[in-house]
Amino acid sequence: MTKANVVIGFLGTTLDVGKWDTRWERWRPTIAVCQQDDFIVDRLELIHDDRSASLARRLIQDINQVSPETKVASVIINLKDPWDFEEVYGALHDFARGRSFDTESENYFVNITTGTHVAQICWFLLAETRHVPAKLLQLSPPKKARGDLTSPMRIIDLDLSRYDRIATRFRAEQRDAASFLKSGIATRNPAFNRMIDRIEQVAINSKAPFLLMGPTGAGKSQLARRIYELKKTRHQIEGPFVDVNCATLRGDTAMSSLFGHVKGAFTGAQAARSGLLKSADGGLLFLDEIGELGPDEQAMILRAIEEKRFLAVGADKETASDFQLVAGTNRDLNEAVRSGHFREDLLARLNLWTFALPALRDRPEDIEPNIDFELDRQARDDGAKITFNKEARLRFTHFATSPDAKWSANFRDLSASITRMATLAPKGRIDEATVGEEIERLKALWSGGRRDAATDILNGVFSDERLARIDLFDQSQLATVIAICRDSASLSAAGRRLFAASRREKTSGNDADRLRKYLARFDLDWATVMAR
Amino acid sequence: MLTIDGSQGEGGGQILRSALTLSLLTGEPFRIEKIRAGRAKPGLLRQHLAAVKAAVQISGGKAQGVELGSTALTFEPGEVRAGDYGFAIGSAGAASLVFQTVFLPLARQTAASRLTIEGGTHNLAAPPFEFLERAFLPAVRRMGFDATLTLQRHGFYPAGGGKLMAEIGPVRTGPEKFVAEDRGTLLSRNGEAMFANLGVDIARREAGRLQELLALAEGEVKIREVEASGPGNLLWIEIRHEHITDVFTAHGELNVTAEQVAGKVAKQVDKYIESEAAIGAHLADQLLLPLALAGGGRFTTTRPTPHTHSNIAVIEKFLPVEITITDARRGARLIEVSL
Repeated sequence: MTKANVVIGFLGTTLDVGKWDTRWERWRPTIAVCQQDDFIVDRLELIHDDRSASLARRLIQDINQVSPETKVASVIINLKDPWDFEEVYGALHDFARGRSFDTESENYFVNITTGTHVAQICWFLLAETRHVPAKLLQLSPPKKARGDLTSPMRIIDLDLSRYDRIATRFRAEQRDAASFLKSGIATRNPAFNRMIDRIEQVAINSKAPFLLMGPTGAGKSQLARRIYELKKTRHQIEGPFVDVNCATLRGDTAMSSLFGHVKGAFTGAQAARSGLLKSADGGLLFLDEIGELGPDEQAMILRAIEEKRFLAVGADKETASDFQLVAGTNRDLNEAVRSGHFREDLLARLNLWTFALPALRDRPEDIEPNIDFELDRQARDDGAKITFNKEARLRFTHFATSPDAKWSANFRDLSASITRMATLAPKGRIDEATVGEEIERLKALWSGGRRDAATDILNGVFSDERLARIDLFDQSQLATVIAICRDSASLSAAGRRLFAASRREKTSGNDADRLRKYLARFDLDWATVMAR
Repeated sequence: MLTIDGSQGEGGGQILRSALTLSLLTGEPFRIEKIRAGRAKPGLLRQHLAAVKAAVQISGGKAQGVELGSTALTFEPGEVRAGDYGFAIGSAGAASLVFQTVFLPLARQTAASRLTIEGGTHNLAAPPFEFLERAFLPAVRRMGFDATLTLQRHGFYPAGGGKLMAEIGPVRTGPEKFVAEDRGTLLSRNGEAMFANLGVDIARREAGRLQELLALAEGEVKIREVEASGPGNLLWIEIRHEHITDVFTAHGELNVTAEQVAGKVAKQVDKYIESEAAIGAHLADQLLLPLALAGGGRFTTTRPTPHTHSNIAVIEKFLPVEITITDARRGARLIEVSL
């Protein structure tokens, strides 16, 4: 059974008028819609006000004459001002809500040719949001100059997914966006790709907070920055990207760093400081390791998300800041809630969109594309193209995707590994020997529980690239030295502890100088080591 | 079931209407495909639906694919019943085309039928009432198909609102074999510039120009104003010969001057007169089907139109007849329908 065509439209108080026989010579859109030779209106719902009742009666007679198939129903809507958007929208919204649309057996069309421009806009909005599940009809006057009396009619379907070319365009845009979020890395892991597609959808359509979970080095920070950049390209965000690692915000200064303080709020507060939340106004705030925030900060953050305002330290007036929040964590926040370390209500706010970034070893198929990405990045940074020879690449990939490769710091490990090989590659070509050496280095790195503490220390002091230039041989020693330094009151005190044995045998004179020189070999000094 | 290619020849609604008529007469179901293939708006249009619905109505038949834009349709006729029928077709349809679809089947019944068709009676692409009444019906009456037409009210496109009544049948027995090779001597020429809701000037100019072009006597083209919903204009002339009467028409249109309308009519008449054929091209199209039903016959005509060829193809599918076209005198053609 074919569906009946139901057309809804305003009586055109200018276009549809005409009392005399000459009205047939004029273009009347409501008549014309009933006169199409390839479209039959089974029912017309003619919207008009009480004042136009006689005009409506005549129009209905004329419709019966030209189109006996069409049943016409008068719908009375009295508008004080048909150009008042709020009133028209309200009236049409009521009209749509007050009736049922039987889309199983009827096709709906809204004739937007008649009615004010405001009414047209309202129809667009109602059709687009499917309050009125209709397509739009637009008629144009006959081309009388060509002797044609028929009125061309266009059917406009606002369901954009029905248009092949538009849909292709959207798919391409979405693909681009997803690829953008992945930094252009052609990842193959289906679960990861699905997650990125979801993130893309949510990022484009929602302002709600995101929670990115995942182990260290899984790319949370990178992804947050990409989400920011994507939103910025789409003009959904204008402000800056503010990246905060909450683990660095412990202690007294945490509140002040996040929320700012007024001048004189506490000893040492000689100038007012606006705080990170205020700097993120209009932009995106990435709070990494959010599980490390203290209880007071958690309470303030919650308020800042919910009310978009907060109290700076020492202030008696609230500061307003509207930002998109992305939180990152490598801890199980549910567990933190159970143990009383994390506010349940804050987790509930963050938990709307939670994405768990998988560890690199859980995405073995993505290791190769990431190797290529790292090589490209090296090339961009150093200006020299680095390549693997075939056997070397095979061997490295084989190892990298094997269960032996733990990738415990995930992309940080992979990036460091590629950087090291690139640095050591003879003539920009990574050979099997370099790979063999690197595999041993990685195995050593991942063996033994102490490695993590040492890596963390070194990562805190060196950039990945600088660290890659330090031999593994030196790394563990250097980590121990830094740890001792941080545990000591001064350079001399550290020197005394580090060189205690030679000191007893009187082979060394100036421990402090010896330590300073050792650190200098790695471009370090006391201040850098202590600043963390 | 017969399958008809709706895109062949002229490929318009004519093939569909002829097929419907023949199916009603023979009881043979058919399927028509590629309806109006290659047109800007392919498939069934509104005026075609009117013809299908009328065919269903008078026979209680079944049709599948009766939808706007449908490019294939299956029709299974029931038994044609004489009776009173009303069809409301609106302004897009043409009353005469609906009439022609059901006329022959109803004219074959033993009881009379009455039709009321409301809508357009004078549409551009359809034979006007004057042609049916003065040329078509007198010719088919000789073949045993009877009808009387009354135009109660004119309905021009786009306003419509006309009303055509028809009394059809009952069947007459023992018709003569239709032969029209010579038209005989000219008896009369009788034209009319008919108009509604337009300045009388248009009709005057048409009449004057036609008179001039065809060298007619004063009073051979009359002027008549009619009642109708909207504006409309038709110029027609009836040419009566001893053995046959034909009618030639042209509609007044937007951006076509009154003189051009007269020129269109005069051109058809000149062509007809010069050819010495008995029957003009339009009437020839319309007579093929009744002739095939009435046991054959022959007539001379001017150059056949594409309509004629597509019509012949459809008729030969349904009926065991052979229709030939051969050359006759002075560029005319002889069309012979034989069993």
